[in-house]
Amino acid sequence: MIRPTPEQKEQWEQQGYLVFENAIQGEQLKRLQSVFDFWASECKDEWLERVDTGDAAATFYDIPNPLEKDTIFIDLIDHPSYYGALMEFTNDELILLGPQVRTVAPWPVSYTVWHPDVGQSNPLHIKVQIYVNDVPKGCGEFGFVPGSHKPNAGPFIRPLFQESMTGHRTFPGKAGTAIMFNSCGWHTSMDNTSDTPRKSIILIYEKRTPGRIGPEQYAAISEHCKTPERRKLFSLAD
Amino acid sequence: MPRIDAHLHVFTKVSPEFPREVTPICPADREEPAEKLLSEMDKHKIDQAVLVQIGGTSIEHHSYLLHCLSRYPDRFLGIGLVPPNHANPSEHMKELADGTGIIGFRLFDLGGPRDIFETKDVREFKTYPIWECAAERDYVIWLYPRSIDAHLLPFLIQTFPQVRVVLNHLAMTPGKGKFTLDEHGRPQIQISGYNLNMHTTYRLARFENVNVHLSGQYAFSREPYPYQNLSGMHHNLLSDFGSKRLMWATDFPWILENPGYGELTTIIEKLLPNLSESELADIMGGNARKILRFTDRQT
Repeated sequence: MIRPTPEQKEQWEQQGYLVFENAIQGEQLKRLQSVFDFWASECKDEWLERVDTGDAAATFYDIPNPLEKDTIFIDLIDHPSYYGALMEFTNDELILLGPQVRTVAPWPVSYTVWHPDVGQSNPLHIKVQIYVNDVPKGCGEFGFVPGSHKPNAGPFIRPLFQESMTGHRTFPGKAGTAIMFNSCGWHTSMDNTSDTPRKSIILIYEKRTPGRIGPEQYAAISEHCKTPERRKLFSLAD
Repeated sequence: MPRIDAHLHVFTKVSPEFPREVTPICPADREEPAEKLLSEMDKHKIDQAVLVQIGGTSIEHHSYLLHCLSRYPDRFLGIGLVPPNHANPSEHMKELADGTGIIGFRLFDLGGPRDIFETKDVREFKTYPIWECAAERDYVIWLYPRSIDAHLLPFLIQTFPQVRVVLNHLAMTPGKGKFTLDEHGRPQIQISGYNLNMHTTYRLARFENVNVHLSGQYAFSREPYPYQNLSGMHHNLLSDFGSKRLMWATDFPWILENPGYGELTTIIEKLLPNLSESELADIMGGNARKILRFTDRQT
């Protein structure tokens, strides 16, 4: 397990994010892209039906139950590129809350606003966003306000225009880039004014608290979780 | 500051003078006339209102609406409907709106691709001529889009930035099969626990010409008045659109029996208790006066 460097730890504490370029690369990235496209295509009609019935938003969709569809999605959860950092920041008490394997359509406005996911009273809540395709500037790249995860930060006012957010930075990146951030921090998806959908995977983790995730949650993939460490990560019984 | 009910319906029994379509929500012998509405408005100090056409899209079907607008010109403005497959919608719109008090038209379907990934040329949307006419003639577009059409809105809105747009009923976008009638014979819309409109219609706050009705709570809530479970939705709309682009409305007559017109006149202060006096006055009528251009009532 590769633990973060002192510089990375300092940045995490002060800024609330870390960027892992080429976190996924080579053949693994190619396979991820291929699997992503296959399942996104397979699931699209069902998503449109759900949009029609008002049960899904029209601006983006997630592949349902991705961990049960291909083991590559399971392998992303404890990927060595960032797993050590996740474990370090949670004192080795890391659990997975869930993955979002997400395709976001180009649209005149971003599909989401600037927001934090949780408040300061929540156990440490971390997300890792992995770009499956190249995400240049103006193509729905991740945006974050460095330092906004701290208890004394803000107050922050949500602007009408994404680019008007005070103190933010954006994270255009190549396919395979992973961005880890503290979900107390203010973040968003910037506008995508291109013709290209943004494909990314958002992994949601939290520092373990008793009963947060039951053993039944990931029972369907139990056979792929052999090591004690992985079973703990997926809240599976020993 | 006037108090203006910015969205409601009046209708009479079906008659040769006032023909209309008969539907489960508007049976042939039901009537909810303007005089009944005016009585409620006067009782609760509501000055003016927007009458929204119900009971058909043809010119003839608008007879009662036109009658009310003509009879009470300082109390009402009107919103008309356009037949879905009209060969020349702009002719229909002009005929209805020319000097009558009809200021805009309500749309439910936008007529574009259902898949956002295939949305390309806005000129190919079936309702493009309606928007084009609204832009030329300064009509308001009154919107209650279905969920499958929600993604089409920003393409039209940014193409026609001069068109005043009003999203009805909390900017909701009902899904197919989620519309029923409740025990009072009024609309009941089943909505998702997670507010999906945050990813569609709420994002239209970016466009300055887009406004939202705070109305229709009875249809979306399973709780009794004042529908506190919708409080968060009201706060989010206030946060996104600001107090200058929200308009209070009752959706009369569907609220008459339950909870009553009077109760609806205090719903905003109950669901948004932290509004300042001037913000509340804006939402209760000031915004409608400015955005829809009501003239002062003759007293």
